[in-house]
Amino acid sequence: MESLTMESFREIPAGGKPVKRIYVALMLWFVGRAIQAAARVDQAVREEFAALPDEFTFSLGVLPRGPAMIVGKDEEGRVRYRGWRPAGQRIDLRMKIKNLEGALLMFTFQESTAVATARNRLIVDGEVPAACAIVRILDRVEVYLLPKIIAKLAVKRYPDWPWEEKIGNRIRIYAGAILGCR
Amino acid sequence: MFQSAHTFVFCSPAKVLSGNRALENLPVELAGMDACRPLILTTAGLAARGMERIMAAAFADSQLTVGFFAGVPPCPDRELVRALYGLYRDRGHDSLIALGGGPVLTVAKALNIAVSGEPEDLEAAAAGTLESKELRPLTAIPNLDLSGYEMTRYADLASLSLTAPTAIPRLLVLDHRTVPAEDRKTTAAGALLVLTQAVEALLHPGRNHLTDAYAYGATRFIMENLRMVIKNPSDRRRRLALANAAFFAQTAFDNLCGGKIFCLGMAISRRCAISPGLIMGLLIPHGLLMEMDREETPGKDLFLAVGGAEDYALTGEGIGIRKTVDRFVELLLELQSLIPDYPRSIRDIGLKKSDLEELPGAADEITGRGTLDLSEVRYLLDKAWETRF
Amino acid sequence: MYLPGYYEYSCRVKIVAGHDALEGIPALLRHVGARRPLLVTDKGVAGAGLMEIVREAMGDRLEIGAVADDVPPDSDLKVVNRLAALYRENGCDAMIAVGGGSVMDTAKGINIVVSERADDLMKFSGAGALKRPLKPLIAVPTTAGTGSEVTLVAVIKDHERHLKMAFVSFFLLPDAAVLDSRMTMSLPAPITAATGMDALTHAVEAYYCLSKNPLSDVTALSAIGLINGNLLKVVRNPSDREGRLAMANAATLAGMAFSNSMVGMVHTLGHATGSVCGVPHGVCMAILLPFGLEYNRHKRDAVMGELLFPIGGPGIYGQTAPEDRTNRVIAYVRQLNEDLHEATEGRHARFFGEVKDREGNPAVPRERLPDIARTALGDGSIFYNPEDLDYDDLLMVLEAAWEGMPLDTGRIRKG
Repeated sequence: MESLTMESFREIPAGGKPVKRIYVALMLWFVGRAIQAAARVDQAVREEFAALPDEFTFSLGVLPRGPAMIVGKDEEGRVRYRGWRPAGQRIDLRMKIKNLEGALLMFTFQESTAVATARNRLIVDGEVPAACAIVRILDRVEVYLLPKIIAKLAVKRYPDWPWEEKIGNRIRIYAGAILGCR
Repeated sequence: MFQSAHTFVFCSPAKVLSGNRALENLPVELAGMDACRPLILTTAGLAARGMERIMAAAFADSQLTVGFFAGVPPCPDRELVRALYGLYRDRGHDSLIALGGGPVLTVAKALNIAVSGEPEDLEAAAAGTLESKELRPLTAIPNLDLSGYEMTRYADLASLSLTAPTAIPRLLVLDHRTVPAEDRKTTAAGALLVLTQAVEALLHPGRNHLTDAYAYGATRFIMENLRMVIKNPSDRRRRLALANAAFFAQTAFDNLCGGKIFCLGMAISRRCAISPGLIMGLLIPHGLLMEMDREETPGKDLFLAVGGAEDYALTGEGIGIRKTVDRFVELLLELQSLIPDYPRSIRDIGLKKSDLEELPGAADEITGRGTLDLSEVRYLLDKAWETRF
Repeated sequence: MYLPGYYEYSCRVKIVAGHDALEGIPALLRHVGARRPLLVTDKGVAGAGLMEIVREAMGDRLEIGAVADDVPPDSDLKVVNRLAALYRENGCDAMIAVGGGSVMDTAKGINIVVSERADDLMKFSGAGALKRPLKPLIAVPTTAGTGSEVTLVAVIKDHERHLKMAFVSFFLLPDAAVLDSRMTMSLPAPITAATGMDALTHAVEAYYCLSKNPLSDVTALSAIGLINGNLLKVVRNPSDREGRLAMANAATLAGMAFSNSMVGMVHTLGHATGSVCGVPHGVCMAILLPFGLEYNRHKRDAVMGELLFPIGGPGIYGQTAPEDRTNRVIAYVRQLNEDLHEATEGRHARFFGEVKDREGNPAVPRERLPDIARTALGDGSIFYNPEDLDYDDLLMVLEAAWEGMPLDTGRIRKG
């Protein structure tokens, strides 16, 4: 019996999903830098950050071992993208996506932030009011980054912004995300 | 609205994850139960259908190594549990994942009892006296090839029948990748088994709001989805609805017990090589007609479950069981037309008239039974014998 | 029946319900290996003689370790730490919590401290802080109700630092919820009405908010049917035992529904109103429920229409065209508030302008509505509401709820 048992037994080593990881890492990097840029050009995003405590820092990442993005306010209150390594940073709010596939569903816009939350894809570790503010910021940034047809799937209510303002800010945010902000 | 006359107890210990990418949540759920080295148990048949690759994908990026045993036979015995006990301990596993139907869950429950305490605990479980300490985490990943006992406290090894509420899996994962399309007969058999458990729960004298709620959900999902799944097995959403129904019905069943249709169907199935669900399908109409003669019949609630809110609302008072029976017979006839070798009668499945004497007694030995009135069982059997659909 | 693309559901609390359910408590504790419970309650419950009933029902089959009957109306961090010390000093090995939401939350808080052998609850806030099962906890609700006997949340206030901490963990769930008609027989009419509407709101919001799933649906429908058949009855006739048991069951069913399916705008605004103006939770729920339906109906019309079946009954449901059903549901809820107002001789408030505090003064001054709207923006339930909510939306609903006027549907911004 024992040899029969061993014949039918195998160990499945931990594998990897390198392509998906790279995609999610890129998206997180871009969104992090876009939030940094949006805080410069969009008043509502600036106000949401201003209402958060001094040097407030949050991370959005994937369990168990990343990728992640960290964004926080510096001593002067400016919003800065702080890279992808949470180690060593003081983080007030951690939003953790439970697994890579969940992150992929969010970043391919098959599940909006609202749907992802409703489907328990995220663990929020920190103050809930701050999490509400961050989700509102993410929603606004998504409206800037995505064409309307996709953004409408990503947010509950597509906002009615003046066209020139939206396009102008969109260009500035893309430029800021790609080129970086000072 | 119905209210139980006596104090009732209800418990459903399982957490259920159902839907898109449900399997990928396994690592984080196991971590929440303090486990990181699961042993997956399944059958050679399921492994051949690609389950190893699916589970590997679910655990990729988790940094966890998992064990995969694909040798569970159709009738597992204690020997296998003994061998797996050694494997589990030697390889340092800390949790179990049962990927499959009845036999896999049976082995997994027995093994979990043994590894969480001592192998001798199996004796206590057979006597129904196992201590109520929580066992190591057991995850169930069943499909549509159902035994009816997967998410219950029962496990029937070849020589040992276990009853242990703590053995009920703590986590249930339903994902279309592990609920593959089955052939029509298997799908129908599973669904009719589920319907039997749900319907008998709605008729049970000890029913309560919770068993009613679960049984209602199970019945609605079957009635709304079975026909479509049989005609179009590639419909993932509907297959999952049937898998959900199985869990709901088994939960109601576990909190009450098996009735005469369930127990007789099981007993007959053991005498001939026909799935119990198909036989139960032939018994249900008669079982329901028997209920019509009772004074206190919960016919209204049953028709609400079988017919749905719209139909129920548009039908007048005094509908009772008759309309429900009509719906069942419609369903049965449709299934028989879609499945050419579905027996039309229990006379056609190799039973002899002499078997009729022994069957009520055999029904009274089925796992999960309540107190059966054997004369009622005999009456049901006789009626079914006389009928050809 | 609706099956979402993905859902999760769990409620592993053992439910024991009946006219003599209390008598089962000793066996429940023995089953989990406990022998010396700490009884936790508040002065109101003790004063109503409910603790006596519990102790008598348990008889001498159980040795009581200690009794704590001074839990304040608002759960408090210092009380949690003090009662944890009482638990340890008396060699207790389990808890029986007899009371409403605050007693339940306090007991859950105590459980964290004694199980983790800590001295300070604060160390365990944060997701994933609890990793192991806690000590046995039996919940005996005395309202019908908050549903806290089946939720995995405990809210504890730190009154010194003006903080509200929410602890969320699977391990916080009680081992059993004991629903006994004797526990709510003496509940005064206004509280019966408010807690009943709390249960109704849980069930209704669970049915139409974003985490809707089959098990939360069936439990919600069951709860709504029971409330429809029994809430007014027990407000008018408090000693209706069957009615009281039905409401107790309804509240637990509603608790199972919303703890898995979450809630939305009604709770978003209700929590904020409670926080800013001290209005009891059930009162806020009753007033805001019709607005939750009105605000979200353009996104959830079909689903809301289904609620007419348990709320109005099969006859009304069958006679009402599908496109009119939601209107009738909203009308039923408003009518229920009116009927409860009458049955409680005016004490059940129908709109915020009518709510009075203990001294008889208006509890919700109109000038505070902007504060409430701002506070509401930070409530987690906002995620689960079908339609988006910003400050202006929240204020619009609050204004209407203050006056008791239906929402102007033209002003709802639809996503």
